[in-house]
Amino acid sequence: MNLLDIRNLSIELIGKNESTLAVDRVSLAMKEGEVRGLVGESGSGKSLLAQAIIGVLDDKWRVSADRFHWRGKELLHLPIEERKAIITQDVAMIFQEPISCLDPTTTIGEQLEEAIDSSQLTGNFWQRRKQRKEAAVTLLHKVGIKQHELCNKSYPHQLTEAFCQRVMIAIALARRPMLLIADEPTASMESTNQGQIFRLLASLNQLKNMSILLISHDLENITHWTNTITVMYSGQFVEAGTTEQIFNKPFHPYTQALLDSSLNANSNVPAKSRLMALPGSIPILQHLPIGCRLGPRCPRAQQACVAAPKVKNYHGHQVSCHYSLRDSYK
Amino acid sequence: MFIFTLRKLNLFLFTMLLLTILSFSLSFLFPGEQLINISGQINATEQELAILATSYNQEGNIFEQYLAYVFHIFSGDLGVSMSSQTDIAGEIVRLLPATIELSMFAFVIATVIGVPIGFVAAINHNKVTDNVILAVAMIGYSVPVFWLGLLAILTFSIQLGWLPSGGQISLLYEIERPTGFMFIDILVSESPHKWQALQNAYAHIILPAFVIAAAPATVFIRLARSAMLSVLETSYIRATRAKGLSFIQIIFRHAIRNALIKVIQHIGLQFANLVTLAMITEVIFNWPGIGRWLIESIYQRDYTAIQSGLLVLSTFIFIVHIITDYTYAALNPLARGAKYGSR
Repeated sequence: MNLLDIRNLSIELIGKNESTLAVDRVSLAMKEGEVRGLVGESGSGKSLLAQAIIGVLDDKWRVSADRFHWRGKELLHLPIEERKAIITQDVAMIFQEPISCLDPTTTIGEQLEEAIDSSQLTGNFWQRRKQRKEAAVTLLHKVGIKQHELCNKSYPHQLTEAFCQRVMIAIALARRPMLLIADEPTASMESTNQGQIFRLLASLNQLKNMSILLISHDLENITHWTNTITVMYSGQFVEAGTTEQIFNKPFHPYTQALLDSSLNANSNVPAKSRLMALPGSIPILQHLPIGCRLGPRCPRAQQACVAAPKVKNYHGHQVSCHYSLRDSYK
Repeated sequence: MFIFTLRKLNLFLFTMLLLTILSFSLSFLFPGEQLINISGQINATEQELAILATSYNQEGNIFEQYLAYVFHIFSGDLGVSMSSQTDIAGEIVRLLPATIELSMFAFVIATVIGVPIGFVAAINHNKVTDNVILAVAMIGYSVPVFWLGLLAILTFSIQLGWLPSGGQISLLYEIERPTGFMFIDILVSESPHKWQALQNAYAHIILPAFVIAAAPATVFIRLARSAMLSVLETSYIRATRAKGLSFIQIIFRHAIRNALIKVIQHIGLQFANLVTLAMITEVIFNWPGIGRWLIESIYQRDYTAIQSGLLVLSTFIFIVHIITDYTYAALNPLARGAKYGSR
């Protein structure tokens, strides 16, 4: 059974005269214990999608979907408060720039303690305070912070970025979530710290069977950690499949371009040759092309691309393209 | 915290230096003889003037004269009033407490009313409540204080007869004034009618305090509103929502403290404005404070009094600034441990 099953989720930015479709009918499914990567350029609506799932978008945005199943339960019909209660109980999120996501005037310890659900605590009210403290310390140990006393007393600005991200993960773990949404957790971090955070997430996935939705713009980097990958472009679904499928046989021209644009040590690029990149840049929200939004930049675009393609499924490898690269592999 | 205190003390010293230089130079800039301006002795004989000249070090250069002036200030000698020939320092000690009382009262009213209303407006952003509060704030800010004061007297004292129209306390009560602060004096006094006197003093202070508080309160409403709005948009508030806290929890645990920090920084600046309003209101409500005394001295061209009054009032305002700075530091961990070169 799918943990999370979203079909045709759209997010609109409500304007004075007209609304802009920022995310256009994106589908996403997550199994239990799965690590799924959500990849796309900046501005492709990945973060929006994540925030829509967890329900923290403000009222400038309108979210609609054909299906929003959480553990087989349809959430769309539920009133907003009830939906939020269910989602925040089981889904946690960590954000990019962790320092700005922690309240600067409250100590880490307090912020950690208030995230702990009181239903987890047993005992009477005079014991709860102590239990809460102990639970907070355990959480810190879980994310690999040994100096819990020092950490609990500190304010966010006294800690490093990677340390704060660990604290954010600890806060996310406080509710014992089944799904952790990590929105570019290692943006603006050094690569050693990046590795640490990813390893921590991977171990949480293996030890606690926690599903992780890993959002990143860096396809190359997250392929080591994910089972499956969904690619988005400019708010549209592009391609989804297992990491091997996406990495070895991408069906969509955009995924192909993403892979080509990333360099690695064994790629034989002749000296002073141009690097592979699609022409142009991602369209801004005010001037979205009709049909497939990649159209103007796509090397394989033809007349049919002015109509948005339907998602085709080949053995679990989904692609949304009229002229997919599938035939070229045969 | 020690370094923070040192920094504030340093600032205080330099501000005092500038203030005394300003008030010293005023004695040259006012018409008339400098020695008479600075001491206020208009009827002094030749011998007395000669003694004064030596005590103010008139033979020395300008720097030595300034030092002598500062020495006079620190020994509590601010000269005598040109119009009444009374000791100015004594006058100030007698009058300043009434002003402190009034402005503090008004300040508390403005903060207690303004800041929460601003928060309420921000929480109901773009709804009817928000717009109504903003409109009322705009009106309150635009009404001139002298007109508002007269209007308040007309309505509440004359037509409705609820509150007295002027003065600090009814003449019926004989209260000894050891400290000068009316409320403290009443509480420590031996008078059998202590509680009635206290009630009477409250009745007297309410009207002027509200009149003074009107404009600053509306400023606080707008400050608090914009501070709260910006805090509600930050990513840590979004993160706490993702954490599963309810809206009320978010507001009380995280938003209010962060918004207050932003507000307090500006509240201190508003205090100078509030004291100016208090000076005018003191005239309207016949309040025996230093503001009324200063305005009267301006009318009477009492240069010595103007000079010293300015010095004392600005010192008072500056001390309030320092206190708000401390409150700010107590609330904001970022300001407490500011690192070298970070600001």
